[in-house]
Amino acid sequence: MTAAQVVAEQGTAPLGTPLLRVTGLTKTLRGQDEPRTILGGVDLTLHSGESIAVLGRSGSGKSTLLSLIGLFDRADGGQYLLGEQDITRIPERKAAALRSSEFGFVFQRFFLLKHLTAAQNVAMALVNGQGWLPRRKRRAKALAALEQMGIGHLAKHKPPRLSGGEQQRVAIARALVREPKILLADEPTGALDTDTGNVVVEALRSATDRGCGLILVTHDHDHAGKMQRMLHLDHGILSPMEVRP
Amino acid sequence: MIGLSGRFRSALIIGGQGIRARKLRTFLSMISLFLGVLGVVAAQAGQVIAHRALVANSELTRGVDGTQQVYLPPADGSSEMLMDVIKGRKDAVAMLSTQAIIGEPNVRPINEGGSPIDGGGGGGYGTMMQCDAEGNCVDPNEGKPSGQAIEVRMLALTGDVRQFRPLRVQSGQWLDFHGAPSLAPRLVLNKAAAKAFTMYQVPAEMRFQGSIANSTPRIVGVVDDGQPQPQAYVRTDELLNWMPPNALSDPQYGGGAEILASPTATDFIDILKKKFAAIADPKMGGGQVYVDTISAEDMMPGEIQLMRWVFLGVSILVLLIGSAGILNVGLATVGERIEEFALRRAVGTPRLLLAGIVLAETLLTGLLTAVAAIGAGIAGLEAASRLFGDRQPMLQDVAFPWEAGVAGVAAGLIAGVLGGLVPAARAARIPIATVMRA
Repeated sequence: MTAAQVVAEQGTAPLGTPLLRVTGLTKTLRGQDEPRTILGGVDLTLHSGESIAVLGRSGSGKSTLLSLIGLFDRADGGQYLLGEQDITRIPERKAAALRSSEFGFVFQRFFLLKHLTAAQNVAMALVNGQGWLPRRKRRAKALAALEQMGIGHLAKHKPPRLSGGEQQRVAIARALVREPKILLADEPTGALDTDTGNVVVEALRSATDRGCGLILVTHDHDHAGKMQRMLHLDHGILSPMEVRP
Repeated sequence: MIGLSGRFRSALIIGGQGIRARKLRTFLSMISLFLGVLGVVAAQAGQVIAHRALVANSELTRGVDGTQQVYLPPADGSSEMLMDVIKGRKDAVAMLSTQAIIGEPNVRPINEGGSPIDGGGGGGYGTMMQCDAEGNCVDPNEGKPSGQAIEVRMLALTGDVRQFRPLRVQSGQWLDFHGAPSLAPRLVLNKAAAKAFTMYQVPAEMRFQGSIANSTPRIVGVVDDGQPQPQAYVRTDELLNWMPPNALSDPQYGGGAEILASPTATDFIDILKKKFAAIADPKMGGGQVYVDTISAEDMMPGEIQLMRWVFLGVSILVLLIGSAGILNVGLATVGERIEEFALRRAVGTPRLLLAGIVLAETLLTGLLTAVAAIGAGIAGLEAASRLFGDRQPMLQDVAFPWEAGVAGVAAGLIAGVLGGLVPAARAARIPIATVMRA
């Protein structure tokens, strides 16, 4: 473990049982050119109710880190503990189940399906083959998630009729509708103006009040400053920037 | 079980949403498949209808599936014996044949020998010669002038033969086997005989081989029996008012007997065999009774088998064409929906379910197309029946065969599977990180 990694771990606030802990996470991209190391041994711990901002240059590996934590991809090395469970080499079938039950995802582009209403877009996270809810319950949960984001009145609107901020809040409602333990947001304000971005970040941060852990990847220092911890990713190494009690 | 059910329902819901979102594209892929499935439905319907028509025709001329067909060679006393054995039985009917001439007495009939009347002249078989045991034959019409008379093959029935051979009543009524026999024999003509009687005005006087006097027949109806030569059906007891029973089985007139019996009438056939063996002349066949069981499968000629192979070939070709259409649209759709599928994986949708979603869409498309093609097939058959039913008996009152419906649904589903497999596999392989790098 490097000195910077130790510092990053030391910066972790003691907020109870860790939701996740990654140690020595590495990732190297192997293409036609020479192999390129994206992550060179990342250590990170996230506790319940904790919010972490990850900053860094474009191409520094922030999204790659998020995709490894979110089980979109597999690390080349290191260990990944989700609660007490070692999921470093988890098979894809179980990873899909964990993505459904443990994680919520928010992306820079909202990825709303244009042919579905806002409520149907939120409910799509409930129609994923991981358990089954009747239509009425799905709709009730989707409406509750939209209400939570303050856009319940837009439930029947389709994405093209919504503003960017509204679309991103629909996406956050979709991420929260399964009541995940961990919320992963990859530059969620990148396509929004400052004011709308603030609304979205506040919506994300409020999820931690209910015990959800949040990892926010952003370029915006103001938004990052609203998180409890700020980490900086540079040359595949994660180091602390600031700690907020 | 619950998990599978949830996944199945999820696939159907998401597949349905995908179809609704791309109505025009779904419609276009349906068009490419529609004609193909319609071809399968039409080919299968044609095959089934043709088969049914052939079976129906065979039932008319031979008998229904499973019927035991017994042939009793001509022998002195055999008709008396037969009527004694068959009396009171409802599971067997005997048909004894003789030749009859209806019309002017002592003339050569228009169709000597009972040949078909086709147009003006008729004839063709020539006079049916009468031969004795020594082989000396005479022409019964020798020296007679030509006149207005029609010769028919007379079939004397001991009961209602339609339980075994479903003759179709065309007009009038069928023979009534209840009640006392009439002295004026009631006749039911077949269509060929009816045609002859329509073309020629003949007096109502009938003479037949072995009769002791001429009688006056009453024609009560016309049936379709599938035979080209003129025939008439009559109650045996009404015929026997005018001839001795032995005359019906007189070898001089060549009169054998055909018996149709139900599959369970084995005791009857055993008795018949034994009694016939006792009276038969060993020189004339040795008392051999010929028994055959009618089989529907045997009624299927080579043309139908060939049609089946042609149908199979057309079906495969059609499925390939339809599948290629769906495959084309499916691949294009998956290419457009990469982000959607990656997003669905991100929210926990398993790879298998993603493949299931794409397959559900193509299967639903195939199924909808099949339903449309079957509907068009039913409507087309109804229209063909109304327009051409008068000229084509095969199309009269024809019902849409359920086999064609099954074939259509199967074709639609198979095309859906074939056309959806590759897109489904591609959808399942879309890397989830696509959404991160978009």
